[in-house]
Amino acid sequence: MPLLAYIDPGSGSMLLQVILAGVLAVPFFFRRVIGDGLRRIRGDRDAAKPADGGEDATPDR
Amino acid sequence: MDPASFRDPSGFVFRRDGILYRQIQQPAAADWEAFGSSGLYERLVADRLIVEHSDAGLELAAGPDAAAVIRPRMVEFISYPYEWCFSQLKGAAQLTLEVQSRALDAGMRLRDASAYNVQFEAGRPILIDSLSFEVADVTEPWPAYRQFCEHFLAPLALMAHRDVRCGLMLRDFIDGIPLDFVARLLPGRTRLNLGLSAHIHLHAGAQRRAASEPAPADGAARAKRRISETGQRALLDSLQRTVSGLRYEPSSHWADYSHATSYSDAGTASKGRLVREMLAAVGGSTAWDVGANVGVYSAMAADAGYRVIAWDLDAASVEEHWRRVRGDRNPAILPLVLDLASPSPALGWGLEERASFLGRGEPDVMLALALVHHLAIGNNVPLPGVARLFARMAPRAIVEFVPKEDPMTRRLLAARRDIFDRYSIEGFRDAFDGPFRIVREAPVEDSPRTLFLLERR
Repeated sequence: MPLLAYIDPGSGSMLLQVILAGVLAVPFFFRRVIGDGLRRIRGDRDAAKPADGGEDATPDR
Repeated sequence: MDPASFRDPSGFVFRRDGILYRQIQQPAAADWEAFGSSGLYERLVADRLIVEHSDAGLELAAGPDAAAVIRPRMVEFISYPYEWCFSQLKGAAQLTLEVQSRALDAGMRLRDASAYNVQFEAGRPILIDSLSFEVADVTEPWPAYRQFCEHFLAPLALMAHRDVRCGLMLRDFIDGIPLDFVARLLPGRTRLNLGLSAHIHLHAGAQRRAASEPAPADGAARAKRRISETGQRALLDSLQRTVSGLRYEPSSHWADYSHATSYSDAGTASKGRLVREMLAAVGGSTAWDVGANVGVYSAMAADAGYRVIAWDLDAASVEEHWRRVRGDRNPAILPLVLDLASPSPALGWGLEERASFLGRGEPDVMLALALVHHLAIGNNVPLPGVARLFARMAPRAIVEFVPKEDPMTRRLLAARRDIFDRYSIEGFRDAFDGPFRIVREAPVEDSPRTLFLLERR
């Protein structure tokens, strides 16, 4: 942990992330690989980028 | 030094001659340098995700151990999460996750995910804390995950799944709503929502278990906490999906209220004309429209060249108003939630961390249209009390008096005894001609109502 971490990350919150990361990584990986593959087939130039969620994501992209 | 700056030893915000500066402290120098050289700052500024700053020179430092002093561009009005409608809080959450995602791309991450680091400007959220970045160890879980869930996800889930008024709970929990509390308040069906089940319900359980365990030796605890980079991205993706999936559709008595006024077409036209004339007579640049509803008169002020804060107590009206103005080409209106009968107080440590409604500057003019009868009759505030509060809010005021014979006032009095002997136009003049000088009094055509232009004495 960096020297200046000033908020309490919470040990339960850190541990939960370890578990969730393990569980979520598998579907995420496949969605990204398959999604990217499909987009590459369709010839999308942005194929390397991970899929973005939410139709109303605020920042302009 | 800004009284809200004490939490983070990396730096602080201060003012000198009215100008805002941020000092970065020596121990944070390496992260600050990495942020500068990563190109992340330029990319965030280019997409208007963070406020710009300029280097100010170390001679302006306000204390010892300065590594750098910057001058951030000031946001015009500071609002707080408990004053935001659902979509504003959701937008701020999405901005935070987007910035975190881009930071990861640059080998960095957000050190914190506080809702107070976001402000609204020109119809969109923007990060105001330039000092929120640190070099990331990508195999370490995100230290700000808990704060993100408590500041953003928890209130959003309550607003979407329980009641939109739960947003006001952020006033009591200024460092985020505790997850065990949120888990108890959310309907049971939210356990079937994958994201909420993980980031709220399981999260609350994990916190509870961790709290009852003995403190582990530091090294052992750290060794356990490793995740893959894909896992890191998957977590962020899951948070983004969970936030995007939360929805709220406004429908309320008040949002329908503007379509059901007591005005005839001629009355509406006359009132609009008078408001425009009075706004022009004031000739200012900032206006607060109090009791703005969905913003008919806020739009008039914006058309007249004012930048407007549009306050309303009803979260649904503010939501509707925000959705309408955020897409404008040149958004000059910021709708916010506020109950004038009990406005945002000063909050936090020493009551200084978050400024009160009256402690954040004043506009050139305030509008209180179709509002006074709600305060005087709906909330029993005597007219002199209304006049005194308005005089603390703005140097000029455009105020509509709605007499007892008006159908809207009659509706307020329908189920109660009329104890308001002093509620009359004479009583209004007596009450306001004191704190204010009456500059103009103009009856609205085809209506029993009267508009006043007032100037503070």
